[in-house]
Amino acid sequence: MTDADVNWLRTRSPFAAMREATFTSAMPLQGILRNDCRIRRCQSGEIVVREGDYGNSAFLVLSGSVRVSLDHLPPEHLGRKPPPRMRWRDAVAQLWNRPRVAEARGPEAVTPDATTRIETVDDRQAIFLQDFPAALAHRRTLAMGPGELFGEVAAMYRSPQTATVIAEGEATLVEIRWQGLRLLRRDKNFADQLERHYRAHWLVAHLRETPLLRFLPEDAVARLAEATELRSFGRMEWNAEFQRNRKLPAAEQIRQEPLIAAEGTPPTDLVLVRAGFARVSHHHGAGDRTTAYLGKGHLFGLAEIAANARRSPEAAPIPLQHSLRAIGFVDTLHLPVEVVAEHLLPYVRQSELPPLSLPAHSAATVQPSASVPSSDRRAVPRDKPGEASGPLPKHQLPKHQLPKHQLPNSKRPDSKRPASKSGELSTGMLEFLVQERLTNGRQALVIDLHRCTRCDDCVRACATTHGGNPRMARSGPRHDRLQFAEACMHCVDPVCMIGCPTGAIVRDEASGTVYISEPICIGCGGCAAACPYDHIQMVEIRDLRGRGYRDEATGLPILKATKCDLCQSQPSGPACQAACPHDALVRIDLSEPGPLDAWLGRRAG
Amino acid sequence: MIPFRTRRRLALAITAVAVVLLVLGNGWIRERLGHASYYSGGTLLGCLVLLILLGLRKRLVMLPLGSVSTWVQIHLYTGLFALAAYALHVPRILANGIFEGGLSLLFLGVSLSGLYGWFVSRSAPRKLTAVAGDYRLERVGWDRQRIADAAAKLCKRLDASLASNVLADYYSNALQPYFATRPPLAYLAVPNGIRRRRLLSNLNNLDRYLSDETRGLAGQLAALVRTRDELDFHFALQLRLRLWVVVHSMLSVALLVWSCAHVLLVLNFI
Repeated sequence: MTDADVNWLRTRSPFAAMREATFTSAMPLQGILRNDCRIRRCQSGEIVVREGDYGNSAFLVLSGSVRVSLDHLPPEHLGRKPPPRMRWRDAVAQLWNRPRVAEARGPEAVTPDATTRIETVDDRQAIFLQDFPAALAHRRTLAMGPGELFGEVAAMYRSPQTATVIAEGEATLVEIRWQGLRLLRRDKNFADQLERHYRAHWLVAHLRETPLLRFLPEDAVARLAEATELRSFGRMEWNAEFQRNRKLPAAEQIRQEPLIAAEGTPPTDLVLVRAGFARVSHHHGAGDRTTAYLGKGHLFGLAEIAANARRSPEAAPIPLQHSLRAIGFVDTLHLPVEVVAEHLLPYVRQSELPPLSLPAHSAATVQPSASVPSSDRRAVPRDKPGEASGPLPKHQLPKHQLPKHQLPNSKRPDSKRPASKSGELSTGMLEFLVQERLTNGRQALVIDLHRCTRCDDCVRACATTHGGNPRMARSGPRHDRLQFAEACMHCVDPVCMIGCPTGAIVRDEASGTVYISEPICIGCGGCAAACPYDHIQMVEIRDLRGRGYRDEATGLPILKATKCDLCQSQPSGPACQAACPHDALVRIDLSEPGPLDAWLGRRAG
Repeated sequence: MIPFRTRRRLALAITAVAVVLLVLGNGWIRERLGHASYYSGGTLLGCLVLLILLGLRKRLVMLPLGSVSTWVQIHLYTGLFALAAYALHVPRILANGIFEGGLSLLFLGVSLSGLYGWFVSRSAPRKLTAVAGDYRLERVGWDRQRIADAAAKLCKRLDASLASNVLADYYSNALQPYFATRPPLAYLAVPNGIRRRRLLSNLNNLDRYLSDETRGLAGQLAALVRTRDELDFHFALQLRLRLWVVVHSMLSVALLVWSCAHVLLVLNFI
């Protein structure tokens, strides 16, 4: 932004009301506006944000208006029609209809279909909804005018957008990156406005997603929401420093992680992980030993709080038995212990309370990792998609309260196991998973090297279902008998999806699969650069006769992002898993240790 | 998910029950003076067809016909059942006559290769995992060349001193041929550490003739010898796993063809 743009912005609400003195000299308001904001002029019909996208910016309407579709828009209207499932006949025909050249595509994969168009607006590519008045004609919409802000929850809390916003006529918006948004919160009015909005529209829904709160009456939830404090730890752009951090020894990495709650201190809050991952550890010798990792919806400190609430008046309060640290970044909700005791514990079944384990009373006593069950922290399972969760089943929840990114898994090996039996992985394995950030994987490709004969049938099957070019490689980090192969893990925190200019990389709501809608992929490479695991490749595409497609304007080869799509168009599902003759390969959810533990337990004999 | 141990016990129990039923059926037909060999032969042919379907399933990975691993389990226990059916059908180890004797030999060859495959596919992965490195069979030649190039590059750093000459001589006489050639057939048949130990021992014996600088190079060469040995081990075991599949598949197809000819002859002379 130029100085003139910044000065002009300073005359507009809410920036006009912000005082320079509120901001530090190192990070002045002018600097935030210049570096973290940009003015975006949108044309009629331009899609500003798409439902389901992971955005990293909020938008403030300066002039004109935008229209929010409150109803779900069909994906094809947004240019990203999920590939239809093949018929058996077509699936088998892949055996002999394989293109002669790698990465061959028909013309339909290069250009968007008639319902969408991509155009260059200013210096960026924008996607437009064709005939958008007709597309929105029979849907509930909401107009937003100058001074109104949208997309801030998705940007601040790393969650998918819940609605599609389209420019209605010409509109001028300020795009504020999440970094800028956080800095602007120094202004009290602005921060209050953001927090009021979050508490009014989102907090209750987030609390309701927690299975432990399912029996709470409305007024108790309201009291909890009122007292809840929102906190963030770590860096949101964790993927930027992941490659450096993964090489650090575990002890060093643990030391660098921001502390959320310290072992040995009295529990003052019940911590609910809202987004991201956290490490549970306890002191062991001169260092710390990992006993579990927590993800969205997990609670920390409940066992101690419950034990303290039940203790006799003369007994000393029990301090936290473990520490909680942010892995990458974590958003947490802190529920004060008094409010928990008064409004939460009376409604929680005794059986749902995790047993309190008192590990390692003496530093000299060496205990095996199994003696510190990580399941303590996980006795209350997260909501399993598709399962009813108490008196307010998911299908009865209003749409805005549905956990959008808590998507079903195709395989849940431990779904029948009680949660308290899972999470018995060794400390070494837990630390490896955390160190390599494999905890992010919802569909990680894990190979049991004690059964894998290196036949490469998985790679061949992948190639067969992807036009001769496999989307996986039988290589990757190894620990003990497991190899975590190079294939998209369809992550819980899909950093690749953040900031895709056309929304081409998208998560399928029904299956949770992250896929790329090739017709609207402009080959910018943003997703490939963002993926911390290097699981997205940019490829030059060719026509079926082997001639490379070229951009008409620049003459440059057309690139498309490619990655594992879990064979979503194939009748079989993931071909790699179906093709393994020795039960050596599995697509598994690593966001909690239970499924992996169950899978390993199955092959113990 | 059923634990593997339970699955194994369950499958063995089902196979045992099926064998008992087969034997009882065979005895019942025999008591009624029926053609029990038609019964056992038909069962055997059915088993062969079912066994050969695994190859087809492996090619149709895009169809939801159950995972290949499930098919392999069915294949394994059907194979065991087929052995019992064979014992009923041919009450000796080898049938009489050249044609039937050949068919018997082929059946036993397929069965033995199958049993060997069962053993090797369970034991080799652990051995491969225990040895460092992650090599792919198709790229072994490239990996071998990479190691040889690294060794050659190290030797170019040797100067003209006497100590260097000792190491250079050993490289050109012993190490260079080792790095440049494929492992011998004997090693591929029975991978062992004899060559590695001999080379490392000889290299170690040179130690007292080397200067501090060349000693460092010798250490790096020793590391390359170990890497090459690990590569050869992976190559030998992966080649064995692949060759076994090829041999078993070819014998199976031949067995099916021969069995069909046998059935046609039986039907012709009935």
